[in-house]
Amino acid sequence: MATALDSIAEIEHELAFARMDDRGEPYQRTSVMTHVAWVPEAWVEAAEDVLAGLAERHPSRTIVLFPQPHAEDGIEASVQVDSFPQGEGRKVCTETIRVRLGGARAAAAASVVQPLFLPDLPVFMRWRGLPPFEERYFDELVGVVDRLIVDSTEWPGLPEPYTSLAGFFDHVAVSDIAWARTSRWRAQLASLWPGIADVRRIKVTGTEAQACLLAGWLRSRLRRQVDLEQEPSDRLVGVEVDGKPTPFPPGDPPHPSDLLSDELERFTRDPIYEDATRAARM
Amino acid sequence: MATTQQPAAVVENPLLEGLHLRRTPDPCVLVIFGASGDLTKRKLFPALYSLALRRLLPEQFAVVGVARSEESDDAFRERMKAAVQEFGRDEFRQEAWDWLAEGTHYVATEFTDEGGENRVVSVLNELDEQRGTGGNRVYYLAVPPDAIAPLVREIGKRRSSKGWARLIVEKPFGRDLTSAQELNEELQGYFDESEIFRIDHYLGKETVQNLLALRFANGIFEPIWNRQFVDHVQITVAESIGIEGRSAFYERAGAIRDIFQNHMLQLVALTAMEPPIEFTSESVRNEKVKVLRAMHTPGPKHVVRGQYGRGYVEGEEVPGYREEPGVASDSLTETYVAAKLFVDNWRWADTPFYVRAGKRLARRETSIAIEFKRAPHPPFEVTEEGLRPNVLVVHVQPDEGVSLEFAAKVPGQGLTLRTVHMDFLYGGAFRTGIPEAYERLILDCLLGDGTLFTRSDEVEEQWSLVDAIVGFWKRDRPAFPNYAAGTWGPAAADELMRRDGRSWRRR
Repeated sequence: MATALDSIAEIEHELAFARMDDRGEPYQRTSVMTHVAWVPEAWVEAAEDVLAGLAERHPSRTIVLFPQPHAEDGIEASVQVDSFPQGEGRKVCTETIRVRLGGARAAAAASVVQPLFLPDLPVFMRWRGLPPFEERYFDELVGVVDRLIVDSTEWPGLPEPYTSLAGFFDHVAVSDIAWARTSRWRAQLASLWPGIADVRRIKVTGTEAQACLLAGWLRSRLRRQVDLEQEPSDRLVGVEVDGKPTPFPPGDPPHPSDLLSDELERFTRDPIYEDATRAARM
Repeated sequence: MATTQQPAAVVENPLLEGLHLRRTPDPCVLVIFGASGDLTKRKLFPALYSLALRRLLPEQFAVVGVARSEESDDAFRERMKAAVQEFGRDEFRQEAWDWLAEGTHYVATEFTDEGGENRVVSVLNELDEQRGTGGNRVYYLAVPPDAIAPLVREIGKRRSSKGWARLIVEKPFGRDLTSAQELNEELQGYFDESEIFRIDHYLGKETVQNLLALRFANGIFEPIWNRQFVDHVQITVAESIGIEGRSAFYERAGAIRDIFQNHMLQLVALTAMEPPIEFTSESVRNEKVKVLRAMHTPGPKHVVRGQYGRGYVEGEEVPGYREEPGVASDSLTETYVAAKLFVDNWRWADTPFYVRAGKRLARRETSIAIEFKRAPHPPFEVTEEGLRPNVLVVHVQPDEGVSLEFAAKVPGQGLTLRTVHMDFLYGGAFRTGIPEAYERLILDCLLGDGTLFTRSDEVEEQWSLVDAIVGFWKRDRPAFPNYAAGTWGPAAADELMRRDGRSWRRR
C-alpha cells in the first residue's frame, strides 16, 4: 500500500486530498453507491481482477476489506481515486479504499466501514468465499448493508450452506452470482413449458452450485420433486430434462465483472432465488 | 348431483416468474424508403447495428432499403457497413454486423412507380417465406416531404391483411396547419393513428426523457414547478453549424419549421405539462397536447427572427447564410427565431417561456433553464454581481445532465455570498453509454409503443401556433442579415428579454 493510513480520520483526509486534480481543483463526483468487498487472503487476486473491470462502470466508493485476524492488531489503509474517460471530456470518478483489518479489528469490521459509507446511498457487500454465518462480525456487517452479494460457486459442502444463508433473507437482500449465471438457462428451460411441467429428473453439467440452484428452482416453481444428477464442469454447459438435452441458450455467457455489475443494479429481494435455495436440499 | 365441467384452465408458466425477460419485438421487416440518403447512413443503420449488437432486434428480422439509385444488395451492405464503422457509437463486431447484413436487401425504384412498388412487395413476401417475418412491416419514410403522401398511397394500396404494419414518418410533417391536416387525413386513410409514428428525434434523447423523471419522480421539484415559484423559463436550441448543404430544404423551412415547430415546442410541452396518470402513450400525449392547446399566440413584438451574416465560429471564418451554396442572395429565410410564449393554464398563467433557436450561434447547446423567483429579502451582504436567482438547468446536449445554481457563503469573515453550481452529469453517474435517440425510437416502434412519437393533434396544435407567427412575418421585410455567425443572435432577441427586466443566460 502506497500510503499507510491508520485511522478513519486519516482516510477521510486522504480522500479529500485525492479528489483534487493537478491544479488543486476538485474532481466533480456523482456517486451512486458504496460497495464493500470482504476479501480473505485466498481471494485477493480474483477480487482485484473483478474490481478492475467494475470500477469504471459504477461511480461508487469501494471499500475493500482484507481481514488478517492473525496479524498485529490495527488498521492499515490506502486510498485511490481513479477517473475513467467517458467521452466528450467527461470522466467517471471512483474511490477505492483498501483496508487491512489486523487482529481484533477483523472481528469489528462493521465499526470500521460504517463511517466510510457515502450518506443516503445504497450499500452493497460482496463476500468472497463461504460467509461465516455463525460469526457475530458477519451478522454485524450484514446489519449495516442493504444487499449481500455472494457466489455460492465458491462454497464447499453444498447444498447445506444454503440453509444457513436462508436464515438471513429477512435481514438483508441477497444476490448470488452463481444464480445469475443460470439465468440464460432458466429462460431456456422456461421456454420448454408446458412440456417441462412434468419433469422428474434433470442432469446438469456445471458447477455444484448451479446444479443445486437449477434443481431447487424447478422444484419450487413447479411444486414437485425433481431429482438431480450433476456432471462436474467449471461452467454451465448443459442441462438434460428427463434424459433429453435442452438446446444451448443463445448469446455468450457474461463476464464475471458484468455479473457483479448487474447485481449492483438490483435493490430488492429476489423471492424466486430465495425459494430456489430453500428447495435446493430436497 | 350433476356437476358442470369447468373449461380447462390456461395455466401460466411458473418458470417465467422473476426472469426479467426483455420484451422482444415481433418478427418483422423494416423497409426504409430513402435508403440512399444521409439519414439512413448516419443514423438509421448505426442505430440498427447498436440494437443488433445488444440483441434487441427480433431473431426473425430483415431490412429492405428502397431508393432511386441503382445499387446491388452487396454494394448497399458494404456502404452501410462503412457507415456503421464511421458513425456508430459501438465498437464494430463482425459477427453482429454479419447477422444484420444477412437480412439486409436493397431495391432500386422510383417511390411511386407501380412496377417498382410491386417489386418491393414481392421482395417482402420472399423475406416472409425465408425469414419467418409473418407479414409484419415497419415502413420508414426517410424521404422528402413531397414524396410522403404519394408513397403512403402506394404502400396503403398494397397493404396485406397478413401481419401488422407501422409507418414511421420523418419531419417536417407538413409546412403549415392546412398541409399537416391534409397529410394526416391521407395517412389516416390507410393507417390507423396507432400505426403512425411521427418521429421527433429529440423525444428519443435520454435527457429529454430524464426531464420527465426529474419532474415526476422527485418530490422536491413538482411543488415549486409553477407560477408561484418560477419567474420564467428559458429554452435554448442552439447550433454552431450552418445549413450543411441543405439549402433546398432550409430555404423553404427556416428555423421556425426546422426547429421551432417540432423540437422547441415539444420541449416546452414536456417542461410545462401536468403529471400524466401513467407513462403510456395516450396519457403522456394527452398531457402534452393540453399544453400546446393552452399556448397563446405571441404578438409580433414578442417574436424575433434573424439571419446570420459572415462571422467566426471557433476561430474559423464562416460565410453568411446568403453566401451559402444554393441560397438566394436576397433570401429572407430566418436562421434564428426567439419568442416569448405563455401557457394559459392554472399552473403557468403569466409565466413567460422565452425560447430561442438558431444556426451559427456561439456554441452547440440545448438546455431548459427554470429560473426561480428571488429570495424576498436576503439579510446578507452581496457581491457586486448581486445575488442571482436559483436556476435549475436541464442540459439536453452536450454535457447531458442537470445543474442547480444557488448561493453559498464565501469563506472568511462576514457573510458574503456567491452563486455556485451543483452539477449532475448524466455520463458520470451511469455505466451504460447513452443510446442514440434513433435506437430508442426504432425499438419503440418495433414494439408498437408510441409514447415518444408525436400524435396528429399535437402536430396540428404546433402548426396553429407557427402559422400565427408566420402570419405576422408576411407583413414586414426584415433587414437581414442581422447577426454575425458565432454570436448569440440578433440584438432584438436581447431586447426581447431586456424589456421584461431579464436577460438570456450567460454561457
